[in-house]
Formats: sequence, C-alpha cells, structure tokens
Amino acid sequence: MRRQRRSRWGLLLCGLVASAVAWAGPPSSAVGSGAPDEGNPRVEGELLLDASQVKPGDTFRVGVRFRMDPDWHIYWKNPGDSGLSTDVTWDTPGVTVGELRWPFPSTFRTPDGFIVTYGYHDEVLLFAEARASEQATGSLTLSAAVDALVCRERCIPAEMVLSRSLPVGPETVRNAETTVAFDASQAQVPRTAQAASVATALKLDAQSLKTGQPFTGTLTVSATDGQALPGVEPGFFVPERVRGIKRMDLVSEAPGRFRLQGDAAVEAPKEEPRLKGVLRLGTAKTGYRALEVDLPLAPVEVVPVAAKAPPTVPGLMAPSVPPPAQAQMTAPAAAAPELSLGLALLFAFLGGAILNLMPCVFPVLALKAYGFTRLAQEDRGRVGRHALAYTGGIIGTMLLLAIVVLVVRAGGNSVGWGFQFQEPLFVAGVCGLLVAFALNLFGVFNVGTDGTSLAGKVDASHGLSRSVGEGVLAVVLATPCSAPMMGTAVGFAFAAGTGTVLAIFTALGLGLALPFCALVMIPGLAKRLPKPGAWMERAKQVLGFALLGTAVWLVWVMGGLAGVDGMARLLAFLVAVAMGAWLYGLAQASGGTRRLVGVLAALAVLVTTGGFTLRFDGAAPTARASTVSAAQPWDQAAVAAALEAGQPVFIDFTADWCLTCKFNERTVLSREDVRSAFTRHQVAFFVADWTRRDERITAMLSAHGRAGVPMYLVISPATPDRPEVLPELLTADIVIQAVKRASGLGTDAT
Amino acid sequence: MKRILTALALTAAVGFAVPAFAADTAEVGKPAPAFTLKDEAGKEHSLSQYQGKIVVLEWTNKECPFVQRHYKAKTMQNTLKGFDANKVVWLAVNSTNTVTASADATWKKEQGFAYPVLQDPAGTVGKAYGAKTTPHMYVIDEKGVVRYAGAIDDDPRGKNATAVNHVKTAVDALLSGKPVPAASTEPYGCSVKYKS
Repeated sequence: MRRQRRSRWGLLLCGLVASAVAWAGPPSSAVGSGAPDEGNPRVEGELLLDASQVKPGDTFRVGVRFRMDPDWHIYWKNPGDSGLSTDVTWDTPGVTVGELRWPFPSTFRTPDGFIVTYGYHDEVLLFAEARASEQATGSLTLSAAVDALVCRERCIPAEMVLSRSLPVGPETVRNAETTVAFDASQAQVPRTAQAASVATALKLDAQSLKTGQPFTGTLTVSATDGQALPGVEPGFFVPERVRGIKRMDLVSEAPGRFRLQGDAAVEAPKEEPRLKGVLRLGTAKTGYRALEVDLPLAPVEVVPVAAKAPPTVPGLMAPSVPPPAQAQMTAPAAAAPELSLGLALLFAFLGGAILNLMPCVFPVLALKAYGFTRLAQEDRGRVGRHALAYTGGIIGTMLLLAIVVLVVRAGGNSVGWGFQFQEPLFVAGVCGLLVAFALNLFGVFNVGTDGTSLAGKVDASHGLSRSVGEGVLAVVLATPCSAPMMGTAVGFAFAAGTGTVLAIFTALGLGLALPFCALVMIPGLAKRLPKPGAWMERAKQVLGFALLGTAVWLVWVMGGLAGVDGMARLLAFLVAVAMGAWLYGLAQASGGTRRLVGVLAALAVLVTTGGFTLRFDGAAPTARASTVSAAQPWDQAAVAAALEAGQPVFIDFTADWCLTCKFNERTVLSREDVRSAFTRHQVAFFVADWTRRDERITAMLSAHGRAGVPMYLVISPATPDRPEVLPELLTADIVIQAVKRASGLGTDAT
Repeated sequence: MKRILTALALTAAVGFAVPAFAADTAEVGKPAPAFTLKDEAGKEHSLSQYQGKIVVLEWTNKECPFVQRHYKAKTMQNTLKGFDANKVVWLAVNSTNTVTASADATWKKEQGFAYPVLQDPAGTVGKAYGAKTTPHMYVIDEKGVVRYAGAIDDDPRGKNATAVNHVKTAVDALLSGKPVPAASTEPYGCSVKYKS
C-alpha cells in the first residue's frame, strides 16, 4: 500500500518537474495523494506550516490542505447520514498540537434528499495550533497520518502520511504565503458566540425531551455589539452528532431567529443532550460569520415506545386530545406494537367520521338526511335495522376495498387511497351508478322490494337493501376525498400487514357510518325534524339532480383520464344506462312475459352499448390549464434545481378526481394574496398530478406517510430534506405562512 | 346534536394537529415495515414468512469499500456463524439502483456465503427502513418488531482489533430474553446509492 503510494508520488513528481520549470516545491514527503480511481488520485494532501522557522516555545499553525477532484468531497467531523469523518493523527516530537479546526462545511444531499452529508469539496485546509517545546533544538519533524474517505457517487478511502521538517531558530519566521491560506481557513472556522460578539438563547417549547419523540424550540441570536444580524443562506446550519438526538434542524424565521425542530432518539443518553452544531450567518454578499452553537437542551424523559404519542403541535392542541387517545398513551408498555395500531385505528375511525363533511360524500349524506326524515317517524327497531344495513354496506365495501388493496399489493404494485379513480372503467361504472340512482329518485324505476306486489304499505324506495346501497355509494364516493387524519391512518395501513389493513378499513367504515347512526339513535332528536309530506317527493327529485351534478364531475375526471373521446364514450354509455333504467321501469309496471322482456331489453341495451363504449385506451387526455400560473409538472430533478438556486418549493399533489384538491386549488391556491406571496418569495410551484397512475408520486406520498392526495409539501432551500407537510384542507394563511417560513423569513417579516 | 358537532370539531382539530405519523421508517420498538423481495436467485422472501425467528437485515453493496473491508474480514459471515441457525435468519438487501441479480450471485459465490441477497433496485424497501449506509444493520425480533438499527460495530475505520459487534450483542440479548443494550447506533459507511 505504502510502496504503491510512493511510486504514485514518483509519477507526480516527474510530472511536476516536467511542467513546472523553476518551481521549488516543498520537500517530497509534505505532499501526497490518495483515493486512486481509474488511474487518478481523487485527492491530494499537503502538509502546511505557517512558519518557516520557529523559536522554542512559540506557537504556529500546522495543517493539511486537501485538494479534491471536481465533484469529489471529503467529510466534516460529523459526516452526516453516511461517509466517514476525515481523521488527521499527528506525530510531532517536540511539538504539541492542539485540536483540529474545521472550517464551516458544505451540505451534500442526494437528489431525493434522502441522504444528507457534510464535508468539503474543491479545497480545504484543516489545521491546528501547535507549540514548539521550550527545549526544542535543531530541526523538528512534523508528521500527519491522514485517513479520509473521498466520495462522489463512489467512495474511496485515502490514506496518506505527510511530513515536513521545521528548523528551530532564535526567531519565529512567518511564511507569508501559507499564512494567507491559514488566515483564510481560520476565518471560516466557527467561533464561539462570545468571540463572535453575539448572544445565543434557546427556548424549548417543552420542559423535557421525550425519547423517540419530536421536540421544538426557538433559537435566538442577537448581536452584543448592536449590529443588525444578516439573513442566512441554504445549508446555514450543520448539527453535530449528539447522543440522544436523532435529528436536529433549524429553520430560519427572521434574521437572528430560528425554529428548532428535532427528534429525540429512542434511547435516553446518560447526560442531558445539547444543541450542538455550527451556524453560519450572512450571505455571499454580506460576508459570513460562522458560530459555534452549544446550548443545553432539556432533560430526557424516557417514554416507553408503546406509549409513543403522535407528534403534536405544542401549546395548541395538547389538552384537546380526546380521552381514548389519552387512555392509550398511558397504557402499559407490554403491548407495544398493538398500541400504535390502536392509535392508527382511532385515527381511521375519526377520519371516517370527518369524511362525512367532505364534499365527495355530501350527496350521499344529503340522501341519507332525506331518508332520515322518513325514518324519524318510524319505530326505533326499524330505524335501527336501517342504520345497521347502512353500516353493513359501508363496512362491506370498505373490506372489499381493503381486499383489492391487498391483492394489488401482493402483485407487487403499490396503491394509494383513491387509486381506483385512476381506472377509466371504474369511473364509468360509478358514473353509471350515479345516473341510475338519480333516475331512481326521479321515479323512473324502483329499487329493492318488488314494486308490484308490495306497493302501498311499504315504501319501495326505502327498503333495507337501499340502505345497504347507500352505504356502498358513500364509500365509493368517499375515496377521492382524503379527510384530515385519514391520510395518516390509511398510509399506516398500506404499509402494514393484512390484518392491520382490514382492521383500519373497518375502523374507517365505522367512522363513516357513525354520524348517521348517532343521529337516528339519539332519542328526541328525530322529533324535531319536519313531518313527511308532499315536499319530500320534490326534495327527493332535487337530490337526484345533485347526483347528476356529481356525474358531471366524473365525466370531467374521465376527460383527464381518456380525453375528449373518453368523455364522449362515457356519455354514450350514460345514455344507455338511462335507457336501461327506463326500460326496467316500464317492465316493473307490467307483469308476466312482458315484464321479463322489458328486463331483458334493459340488460341488452346496457351490455351492448357498454361493450361498444367502455373502451378507454387512456391516450391523449385533454390538456387543462392549471389554476396556478407558472406551475410546472413535478419532477425531482427540477425540484432539486430550484432548491439549489435558493428557491422555496411548493408541491401540489393532486388529481382531477380529488375534490378536496380541486377545492383547495380554486379557493386557496388561486387566490390573489396567495399567488402574490408565491411571486414575492419566488416560490417554485410544482404540480404532481396523480389523476393517472404514477409510481413516483405514489412513492412520494407513502414517503410522507400518506396514501392519497391531496398532499402539499413546502420545502425550504435551507432544509431541503425536511419538507413541511401542510394539512389536507388549506387556508390562505396556512399557505402564506408556510411559504414565508420556507423562504427563510419569519412570520413577522414581510 | 351539539354534542356531536363538538365531537366532530374536536376530531377535526386533532386531525390538523397531527400533520403526519412522520415517515414511518423502521424505528426501534416499532413493527418492521413488511416487504417481499426477490433474491439474487429469483426466490421471493417476505419478512412475514420469517415470523417467529430473529431476522438480521444487512444493507449491502459490493462496490462499497466498507462492505469490501467487512467481507474481507468475514465480519458478516462470522457473526451469523455464532448464532443458532434455527432461530436467526440473515438477509442481505441491496438497494443500489444499478444492482443486478447476476452480479450479486457472482459476488456471493466469490465470498462464499449462503444467505440471500435481496434485490431492491427501486429502493422502496431501503427507504421504508431508512437505510442510509452500506453496511446498515437492522435486527428484528420474533414478533416482527425492530430491536436494533445502526452500525455493524463500533469501529468505522477498521483499525480496532477489539471492536464491539453491535449486531451480535443485540441478537444475543434477544436470544436470552434481555433488552438490547444499545438499541440504536450511528451507522457508518458509503451512502446507499438510491435511484433518484
């Protein structure tokens, strides 16, 4: 190994002699090279001293200057997620060498932001203070054993032994040339707050850190000399490795104010952890001031993993966590895995309940409300049976959906919530169902019980099977809306085992069914509703139009999936559905053979037209103008480029069939103030359209624990690996504040 | 009605207060993400099929100098040899975007080890586990719960003759029913070369 290096050095020397004519190079052993790759060393090291002669007892600086090939880098003392810190071991008889000084490092990220490392490219001088002993005489020999890992795509270890001698004399003689290099490097080494004339203060949002849980706080830096503090550039904060802390990150809120976000490790450290790292204030224009930050965090409280609570926004919601969650958080540690499942189940249940308020489910809810006014007058037993039937319809469909998810997943594909709307045939089916339902409400035909034999006493349009059908429809329509919380619960389910998927979907269904069941079961409530009468028939018909409106939306969705042709085919199919329904209605009114003929005719119309029309090749979707101008299609490389250029990034994960998405886009993202905020902060706006299947988007969603759209990511160029996930339902304020944070401005700044 | 509305409002509020479950990576104490991957011979392996056994996952990439060093020293093979073969399963996972089954098959033959090398060129399993380096080790207990995540040992530079093997320590602790003393350590090595 060593011999090889020497021969390499020989080659290098020959090259030097050949090219540089009268250049008096340093003694041969002071330079070396390492990380051989395709015949080239990727790093060269040179041992430098800032003195050419030293007086006994005097101090000087000694360092190793690394020069890397373009794109190759070595690592800082904390290499980050991978890599290995650069190590310099001194062997300096007669000289004491201090601690290695590290200039402020660069941050390197893989294009997807998954792996973050810290280090140096191009050139860096790592150095230390040294002192010659009082007894030093003659000449001192300084040697440095360098062990570095040099990486680009690949990593190659580099080992070098460098040495140089330093004459001892009556005076210390500075080497002008190298002193400049040392001074330049020293200027980049972070100083303590005191040396940099600033005061630092950290205020945590909680009294203690809890193992395995996130924590937040605010770091303020103020100049003690009264100077205004400049802003910061991306990569301004590089954390050191701290025991007990899994992740630490600062987000710039205003000049001198930073939001601390971190995760405590699962294991508690022996000592109280500290906020440790280096911070660089200023920009290339204003000049930099690098600081060492070393402040106590808070004592760590051991929380059994079982009792792990989901991250909460501090000071806001803590008291309003509902009792069931509380109970789970204090449950014993024994049942560890089950408990996080329990919490997911709770979320699924609550999410399902909230789903009732989403625009997707609304037509069904309206239908149910209508049915309810009827049921309210009936005896409770019957009401209960209907509630059960409705719940059964919901759960059954949910389980069916869960099974589909499992089957698709077993086939090696990843799926997301609402994925079925990426299938033109499914959209066509639901659309046909809606039209049939509407026609039923218009009285074109009857559903459920036999209209002729049981007409009269029993309201044929409100049999038990109809309640089941409404349950089915509620689920089918609910999928494009990802309600708050449900995203997380379903995301959890999709990553878990079979039993969990089934359980989560059941909980979702129960939640979806809950409000209606609660309404019919609470006594007294029903009595306050209006009495049934002729108005109900009209109300029923109005609801039919609401369903047709939903069908229009699905036709539009089809446009996104299969273009104008697809829309036309779907409309032709809908006409067939209408005709089939009409024929069926006619058949219901007659009896015997004519009835059979009618039913057969209805079926024939449906099947033949369906066979002709329901062929969607998915080609040429109709292009649509985005609601937000200057939106670009989502692309990881483009996002990385925008972040690299210092632009905050907003990614809108959306789909045509996602009503919540469309609602947000129309009411929030296209608002004037939101758009001007985007312009002001030079936000790069990306749209990730999931209308059709897209594995990349599915993967991105699941990477953030979501199984469906909408999802909104705001990424700050300062912390590209820590995107902020906005809630499913946006408000202008949420978006504007998030964009401000991402651009490095605080909420107060304008 | 009011009560129901309050309940709904409350749940909605909680919903907003919980932005995400975080990226559910493999965390010590939590169930390990399920997966099914083919090995270098085309045989499928699911985490679930090993329920009841301790599973060691080793993120690997034969191009990485750290992996090469450990294979030269037979760190992985020797660690596995120390365990009861009926109770412990070792699976190598290669999440390198350029991974090919034939290259890993050749490498396996060269190195003379028997455990499968699972092919994860899309990187989905690697990312689900949060695997960042090669090697990056995970120990999953009989019930499918992650009990150790981190480095193979405490010797990143490979210069310590008496390095502590964290995986051995973790598996030994599990086999004897004791808690794992250091449940997570900082992994070291090359970055996993994910597809991006």
